[in-house]
Amino acid sequence: MATELTRRKFLIALAATGLSLRIPSLMAAPVGETITRTIPSSGEKLPAIGMGTWRTFNVGGDQHLIDQRTEVLKTFFDLGGTLVDSSPMYGSAAEVMGEALDTLNARDKLFSATKIWTGDGGATREQDRASRRKWGIERFDLQQVHNLVAWQSHLEALQQMKADGEVRYVGITTSHGRRNGDFERIMEAEPLDFVQLTYNVLDREAEERLLPLARERGIAVIVNRPFQGGSLFRRFQSHPLPSWASEAGCGNWAEFFLKFTLSHPAVTCAIPATTKVEHMKENMGAMVGKLPDDQQRARMADYVAGL
Amino acid sequence: MDTNWLSYSLSDFLMFGPEVFLRLFVRINQDIWPWQVIAVIMVVAIGALLVRGDVLARRGILLLVAAAWLWSGAGFLIEYYGPINTPATWFGWAFVLQGALLTVVALVWRWDTVAGQSGAARWSAGIGWVVIMGLSPLLTVAQSGSWHSVALFAVTPSVTALGAVPCMLVLPRRIRWLFLLLPLVWGLFSVATLWTLGTRVLVVVPATTLALVVLALLFSPRRAQNRG
Repeated sequence: MATELTRRKFLIALAATGLSLRIPSLMAAPVGETITRTIPSSGEKLPAIGMGTWRTFNVGGDQHLIDQRTEVLKTFFDLGGTLVDSSPMYGSAAEVMGEALDTLNARDKLFSATKIWTGDGGATREQDRASRRKWGIERFDLQQVHNLVAWQSHLEALQQMKADGEVRYVGITTSHGRRNGDFERIMEAEPLDFVQLTYNVLDREAEERLLPLARERGIAVIVNRPFQGGSLFRRFQSHPLPSWASEAGCGNWAEFFLKFTLSHPAVTCAIPATTKVEHMKENMGAMVGKLPDDQQRARMADYVAGL
Repeated sequence: MDTNWLSYSLSDFLMFGPEVFLRLFVRINQDIWPWQVIAVIMVVAIGALLVRGDVLARRGILLLVAAAWLWSGAGFLIEYYGPINTPATWFGWAFVLQGALLTVVALVWRWDTVAGQSGAARWSAGIGWVVIMGLSPLLTVAQSGSWHSVALFAVTPSVTALGAVPCMLVLPRRIRWLFLLLPLVWGLFSVATLWTLGTRVLVVVPATTLALVVLALLFSPRRAQNRG
């Protein structure tokens, strides 16, 4: 039976074709084997992309935004993520995380990481207890001393808590390259499971001392600000990806930045933060496929520096 | 131990983005609907009382401004803004305190003299005040692109502070400064917050508040007329 092709039918067909081409890219999940890293102190495997909550999960009592963030967290878990990092410093982020975990009933998928952030060195357990209540969990997988605030007393208390089985791993954090000298001395002197620091294609100071030291001392490394707080996108996403990006396993700028970070052999996990499901999918795309080799890493850094 | 404070920027202390901040206005407007009409009536009433200008009108102005401090402090700042930004809670309590103190002053203050302003000046003040209170709420609309985010006097803190400062001119300078401290500190805090958030359009309101605070501190009636 012959069908007449009218202008209207043609336009509808054209729109449908366009939509069908868009949908796969919106719905697509990264496929392939997930990149995992080993926590040196235990041998436990950890997916190489985690999720930060700085600025993104502090939405107060805004149910509309809590629902949106819950969808972001669901996408993260669905695509194989486990490590979620927060801090008492981040306003209502812990409460929002607790509500999202309640909604998703997904605490069994979670590797929970938070921080102790108080100048009162005697308040370690009290703050840990408050955070556990907000997250709705019995114990944290990882507790870290935030930005080295009162670190001696907090670290001592956390080590005791680890010995008592109240937390599984212990670490310290810094960001923006602050207090790297103190950070290095603590890494050398204290038994740590994790450190958290800033490292990305532009902020590479950690390559000089901290990352090699982490490898040498068998300390897992969590990388914060892998997108430099979003400024890498603002600066570079108007530029095209280099033609050789796919050879380095990168299909978009998110993968470009994250795979640069993840391909350093000392890095265990990067924790980008986002408020959008689409961005979460892009981020999780960096956890599959090949990682750039040393030559490609150098080329990536040169390319960005030259833009 | 080196704390490297100089390496910190304002953005390091801001734990939320512009989306969450602008949603505060949408949420409070949704939650209090249709009581925004009270805020609009307050604006018109203050404008009318500024035109009238006698002692009774002054008491009325101060009571309405006091109510605006109380409403915006206990509502917007403590209930909505505080959960995402702790200093907002502290400001909320300061707004409440300011409202309570202003209520007392409005009820007990004895005006020995009042400025002898002309009718034209009082009309200009009243109409000008209402126009500014009508236009400044639209800046959040311009910033967010949504009418639901309109920032009304008495409901939201920055427009309340902006509107309150000129009203303090009804007080003698010897106590006026006391009620200009909070708008001054709030203005500085808001300018820093909004600039860091990148919501530059909204900076106009607290920046204007700061300028008005300076003018209000300097302003002295040209002549006073004893109404003994």
